[in-house]
Amino acid sequence: MTDRDMIVCRCEEVTYGELTDTAEKFGCTSRELKLRTRAGMGYCGGRTCRSLVDAIALAATERDVTQITLKYQPPVRPVHFGDLGVITND
Amino acid sequence: MRDLIIIGSGPAGLTAAITAAEHGLDVLVLDEYHKPGGRLLGQLYEEPGGTWWNGIEESRKLAERAGVLGLDIRLGKSVHNIEQVNSSWLVHADCETFEAKSLLLATGAAEAPVAIPGWTLPGVMSVGAAQVMTNVHRVKPGKRGVIIGVNVLSSAIAMELKIADIEVAAIALPKTNQVNGSASNPTEVMNALLHVSHMAPSLFVKMGSKLMKNDFMKKMGITFYPKNGVRMWDIPVMLRKAVIRIEGTDQVEGVTLATVTADGKVIPGTEEVIGCDFVCIAGGLYPLAELAALTGCPFYHINELGGFVPLHSQDMRTPLDGLYVAGNITGIEGAKVAMSQGKTAALSIAKDLGQDIADTSLSEAVRQISSTRTDAHIQFHPEVDAGRRKLQEYWDLHDAEKRKVMV
Ligand SMILES: Cc1cc2nc3c(=O)[nH]c(=O)nc-3n(C[C@H](O)[C@H](O)[C@H](O)COP(=O)(O)OP(=O)(O)OC[C@H]3O[C@@H](n4cnc5c(N)ncnc54)[C@H](O)[C@@H]3O)c2cc1C
Repeated sequence: MTDRDMIVCRCEEVTYGELTDTAEKFGCTSRELKLRTRAGMGYCGGRTCRSLVDAIALAATERDVTQITLKYQPPVRPVHFGDLGVITND
Repeated sequence: MRDLIIIGSGPAGLTAAITAAEHGLDVLVLDEYHKPGGRLLGQLYEEPGGTWWNGIEESRKLAERAGVLGLDIRLGKSVHNIEQVNSSWLVHADCETFEAKSLLLATGAAEAPVAIPGWTLPGVMSVGAAQVMTNVHRVKPGKRGVIIGVNVLSSAIAMELKIADIEVAAIALPKTNQVNGSASNPTEVMNALLHVSHMAPSLFVKMGSKLMKNDFMKKMGITFYPKNGVRMWDIPVMLRKAVIRIEGTDQVEGVTLATVTADGKVIPGTEEVIGCDFVCIAGGLYPLAELAALTGCPFYHINELGGFVPLHSQDMRTPLDGLYVAGNITGIEGAKVAMSQGKTAALSIAKDLGQDIADTSLSEAVRQISSTRTDAHIQFHPEVDAGRRKLQEYWDLHDAEKRKVMV
């Protein structure tokens, strides 16, 4: 196995080759790289591959130190649909 | 409504809970793990002077104190969202929502991976997972392992595996690619290690760390670094060999190592396979700040602190009313620093809620954070002080802006 075939995002099965090619072709920011390839958009919410996707994008773009790359969105943990929005009076 | 909810029962969260309860606050602690203690639970190492830092024992002491104070600690509760509504904080955990006047985020750090072909095979785990299996659950992750990534955390955990009688065949660098970055550069890794030479004396006595102060010697040091590594606690630490592939069909069976140049390029023809049944990947730690990021709190990327950190003051306040942070969410450091930050945060919270906290006790707590930092045995980034100063500058700027708006 080479680097190119190596899976980076396990949830969406995106390879290193796919990510580096996309980053090079479009000069992507992390967010654009994520949207184009779906890396980091799977079940785990990017908890495993976020830093790797970020690193690939940073090879082509400059880091903005005042903005979190790859925005966090709720829910930040997997949760059942039925449990979302339930309010209990504790 | 409660005075305070604390998310995270690590050293920062527990110390904060204890201090807050001692000052009469009504506190709820939430943690998604099934034991209190956070990352403290896995820690075990010898400190200068020969005493041992035993994280399980330290966690037990904190939990006992919490018990005496009758603290409400709920485990197995994952917080998936937080929001500020009117002037209170709503915390959504699994299928329950809790509410409090103030909220302290003490969610700690997360591990970054390194990516090597074969890293998705069963038997590959983060070095922290191997630590938790061994020290917390007392389950051996395997018979013979290889650790990929040479840094403070991986060396500490290698030693812990050794104490548990698990063979570590080698600690080696990851191969160079776009994601492994400076962790795959022998010269940079050696420079970083020289700052922690006190933690691995056997390794650096052999290299003559005193001689390594100037750049020429460093270059010579890495050029002549033994290809088969220098032994530390009898484990070969390889700075001139990188793992280029993890081997195995259905699970880990071994790794392929290759000799690399001083800047990490593989020297063709030097590949060799060594057998092992588990592999640990160690790409370093970063602050786990996802919940803070949902609130609109400003963030800054500071390398010395391990990544993006939420803006906060020395007394652990964020720019948002009623929102505080403590521990590794503010930057990667050892457990003792996290505890002193937890105490400081609790004092700030008590003060903001109208309790009688003298300015001097708060400033003394802030001073204690710095002195704990200076005396720390474990330091994850050699320039952590510079990182803290950068953050303080951002805070001062922010504060000045706010004042301008107010006049
Ligand atoms: C793998 C690993 C090994 C380490 N080894 C050492 C070492 O040997 N020595 C050392 O000094 N430092 C070590 N550290 C650094 C460690 O982070 C600090 O020592 C210290 O534990 C930080 O304390 P804390 O209270 O900030 O966070 P932690 O101890 O990490 O505690 C945070 C707690 O928050 C909980 N949590 C996080 N998010 C949520 C959520 N959304 N909902 C509910 N609960 C949540 C977690 O379950 C955890 O219990 C290690 C860190 C890691 C990740």
